[in-house]
Amino acid sequence: MAQPINERVDALPTKGMTVFSLNALDFAVPGAWENLVGWENTLRAVTGEDDADLLQTVSDRAIELYNDKSQGYQNALFLYDTIDAAGRALGTAALANKVGEKVPLLGMLNKLTPRADKAQAIDLSLKLVVEIVAFCQINGIPGDSIGDFMASLGDYGGESLTRMAALVCFDGLIPLGPDFIGLATDKLTSLSGGDLLDNSAFQKIQRFVPEYESGGKLGFIRHSFATVSDWMGGFVADRDLTPQKVVTNLQSFIEVTDDKLDYLAALLDMSTNYYAHTGVQTLAKRLIDRAYAEI
Amino acid sequence: MLRPSALRAAIVACCLSVTLTLTSCAQAPAPTAAPPAPTETSPTISTPSEVQPTDAVADEALPGATFNAFFPEAQDGLDRVYTQEKAGFAEVKLKRDGQEVAKLAISDTVSTPAAAQKFADATETIAGYPAVTVGKKQTAILVGGRFQVKAISVAEDFTPENRSTWLEKFDLNGLSQLP
Repeated sequence: MAQPINERVDALPTKGMTVFSLNALDFAVPGAWENLVGWENTLRAVTGEDDADLLQTVSDRAIELYNDKSQGYQNALFLYDTIDAAGRALGTAALANKVGEKVPLLGMLNKLTPRADKAQAIDLSLKLVVEIVAFCQINGIPGDSIGDFMASLGDYGGESLTRMAALVCFDGLIPLGPDFIGLATDKLTSLSGGDLLDNSAFQKIQRFVPEYESGGKLGFIRHSFATVSDWMGGFVADRDLTPQKVVTNLQSFIEVTDDKLDYLAALLDMSTNYYAHTGVQTLAKRLIDRAYAEI
Repeated sequence: MLRPSALRAAIVACCLSVTLTLTSCAQAPAPTAAPPAPTETSPTISTPSEVQPTDAVADEALPGATFNAFFPEAQDGLDRVYTQEKAGFAEVKLKRDGQEVAKLAISDTVSTPAAAQKFADATETIAGYPAVTVGKKQTAILVGGRFQVKAISVAEDFTPENRSTWLEKFDLNGLSQLP
């Protein structure tokens, strides 16, 4: 049975691999992410209100909206959860006793399996597709023109921008290197429909992936990646991002050397759920925002 | 042939790259108010422990896109950004120099009768429509006995007077003509 959205927000952690990893991205998106946790905290932060009766009314409406499947919010959370769950075999159990000390990557190599570039390229592109589809499930497609819609997407900030930064750094730069866009593009070009169907994450989310012209769902994935490539390239260039800079900022809690980046990528993949974490935060804010305006 | 859903999704993909390029260049850290610290006291609100299926939006609620045309144009140095368009609801943000200062929203109270009911006790009017203040941040009017129009302060200097002024900028007459 689905978990209530308020419980998901209450259950967001304030420490651990996901939170440490996202905080490590502050060098790339300074000040963007505040780890806002707790349903009532989120209600107060989004509305700026402190009257208990008013907050209760907003809470009730937000939960009512979430619980209505037709409104799309549950689909969005399913997408954020599912795209993160694919690689979490290691989970938190192996790291549970690492709280308060650095995670020694070298000591965990036997537990980690780096993925082939093709699998990593699929994962990167599917996460982008999830971002696009979840945005539409949560917000609709606002405005009457493409210009209106572009402006609404230009509103990306906070945890949404941090999620995209994590995508570029943890699923692009570290596993695939500085030319991750070109490498992933090549892999996607040679990908077959059969390759895609073999991917467990795609199997779970494919009903939400639209078709693009004659290329079908694979065509949509390729098209999405190609169009968002410009943004990713700009994001990297504007900040002069390199795998080494990302590693440097992760070294506060992971002992890692530059020659083990494929293992570092596997560790991050298996021990973090940054899409679900920030996705819950995005979803909660938008739900509360709408409820506050409707009551 | 591109299906409508695929077309809209493809538009999304195309726009994402362009818009995020723009924002990534200009993405200075937003000086947002710090959220309140986690409360150590007992929660003041009650919440359910399980998901109970609901019908949160009435079948007869008008599509959010219906409302877009009635929002005020960008003016007074503020940019207008459409942010949500859901069944029975549409919202825009007003931004100054990239910073959010206010939100404007139209909602169809056919799904939220209690929201309409609060106007029964209204003692004030704005542009001839019953008006109420909600909490510390909102001014609301009810148009045509059905459509709630709100102005919501985000920045501290977006005053109640600013909210009333912006509510008057909507095409309220047009909105009142909706079925």
